[in-house]
Amino acid sequence: MMLALNEIRRGRGRFASIIAALSLIVFLVLTLGALADGLFFGATGAVRSTNATAYAFSPDAKGSLLRSSMDPEQVREVQEAPGVATATGVGVLLTAGTAPSGEYDVAIFGVDPDGAGVPTTLTEGRLPAAGEDGTAAIDQELAKQGVAIGDDVSVGSTSAEVVGIVKDSSYQLQPTVWTSLNTWREMRNEVRPEFTGVVDDVNAVAIETESGVTAEQIQGEIGDLTVLSAEATGLAIPGVEQQSSTLNSIIYTALAVAALVVALFFALVVLEKRELFAALKALGTPTRKLGAGVVLQAIIASLIGVVIGALASRGLGAIVPDEVPTLFRTETLITIAIFTLVAGVVGAAFSLRRIARIDPATAIGGSL
Amino acid sequence: MNENLEFVPPHPGDPGVDPASDATSHKDAILRVEDVSKIYSSGDTEVHAVSKATMAVDQGEFVALLGPSGSGKTTLISMIGGLLSPTTGTINLAGTDVAGLNKRDLTKFRAERVGFVFQAANLVPFLTARENLLYVSTLQKRISRKEAHARADQLLEELGLAPRAKNVPEQLSGGERQRVAIGRALMNDPDLILVDEPTAALDTKLGRQVVELLAREIKQRGKTGIMVTHDLRMVQYTDRVFEILDGELTHVEQPSALAH
Repeated sequence: MMLALNEIRRGRGRFASIIAALSLIVFLVLTLGALADGLFFGATGAVRSTNATAYAFSPDAKGSLLRSSMDPEQVREVQEAPGVATATGVGVLLTAGTAPSGEYDVAIFGVDPDGAGVPTTLTEGRLPAAGEDGTAAIDQELAKQGVAIGDDVSVGSTSAEVVGIVKDSSYQLQPTVWTSLNTWREMRNEVRPEFTGVVDDVNAVAIETESGVTAEQIQGEIGDLTVLSAEATGLAIPGVEQQSSTLNSIIYTALAVAALVVALFFALVVLEKRELFAALKALGTPTRKLGAGVVLQAIIASLIGVVIGALASRGLGAIVPDEVPTLFRTETLITIAIFTLVAGVVGAAFSLRRIARIDPATAIGGSL
Repeated sequence: MNENLEFVPPHPGDPGVDPASDATSHKDAILRVEDVSKIYSSGDTEVHAVSKATMAVDQGEFVALLGPSGSGKTTLISMIGGLLSPTTGTINLAGTDVAGLNKRDLTKFRAERVGFVFQAANLVPFLTARENLLYVSTLQKRISRKEAHARADQLLEELGLAPRAKNVPEQLSGGERQRVAIGRALMNDPDLILVDEPTAALDTKLGRQVVELLAREIKQRGKTGIMVTHDLRMVQYTDRVFEILDGELTHVEQPSALAH
């Protein structure tokens, strides 16, 4: 260990190059990770941050809340299915809402406060009460943009008074407004007049399953409707799964590049130190000790790379505009830190065979 | 300085004693090499790098292994130092059958029982002179950490390197580096010190100083040393000279017999 640590300490210039390369890769990966998380959480909050464990959709909706439309008969079918504890309708409307401070793109969610699909992330005030129309809880993002408790949010001539604030409940990157099904329906009729007169319809049904019951089991009970878990409902939102898989594949590729960079770096270092390693082996240094030194150096370089990359990524996160959906999660940082360490160790491991093959006898006599 | 001197014809070219018969007269030798051969086969041909070498070196002796390049002197010293396994024959150092050790035990053997001085000092470039000495002490368990620190300081002092203890090899002269290498070889208190052409990278004057110092350190400590060299001028600091040619130890003589 004495060798490995002193080499880094006295050869900072050389190790600066590998640390810089790793820092840049970690920076790239963390920034992409923040973007992936931001997009995912921003798109799916409305189906993740509620008490619903599953959602049921009309047969032709392909799991899309917006495309789905269900009549009272279908809602009852879900409610009566075995394994369902609570099931209530959910209405969704993407539109522009007006508040005293301006006009905003919002997603209006109509839910039954006593039923399923109700946000569980209240941070301030209260949710609309059961049977109460004309009130709403809004997402934190909307509050950040200037809407406050006590304001009216209006769609056309229908308005709801803000009584509470919830967090992490965006839908397709738009802040949500949670109100009663009646108020939602009135707002819907303002922008979609063709629905005027339809009083009982909903988009989908939010389900609280009995414990241990899965969405698949309920699907089995009601064959004609589509039942998805809350998680699957999030992934079924257009673009979410595609974004995640695209960004994740870039992230994994970058981590593979990190392993390759470390492998190349240590291959060069070992090549350059063949003579020294031969002499050290001749002096009685076990191969194991030389190998452990290289792996330790890779771990140190990776750790420093993670720290610098994380700081740089956070720094960038602090200056990007709010509209860019980035989310820095500790879980993602830990995952990427572990992956980077593994990449470093795997990269360094490629040099171990090379070290093992160095013949101590070459230390004497120069050439044979 | 040595009584035997009288009995050796003091002019060059006169062959000395055959090493094999010489070996029988050294009953208490600390190092005994018997019938050692190293054969490399490449395709159908066999190359006898060393054939049937027999020699004995007493405790406290500093001997030279003299031969031109390609004579097998490097191969022979590598086998004695546990870096190469002989094809046949036995090597015994203070009761240890070197040729019979496995790879792991050979590594330990080299760390604890043998000190090496290489052609180019081959110091660890990113360790100071003192750390270079301390490094080899981490490879053995006989000397405690505390003793090792005291020993390193004492060695550096004796070798005139105390003011340079905190310098890395890059900041040292060629002669100083070779002195650090000598200190490193002595650090673990080995039974045998093997020296490989220590003057190859130095000019004649510095080379002489280094070999002289080496001889003095080995003598003072009652150590046993073998120096591989092709340089006749360096053998005057040794007790006896083994000549090797084409893989065969031809004769052993007094350094004065080779003086000119």
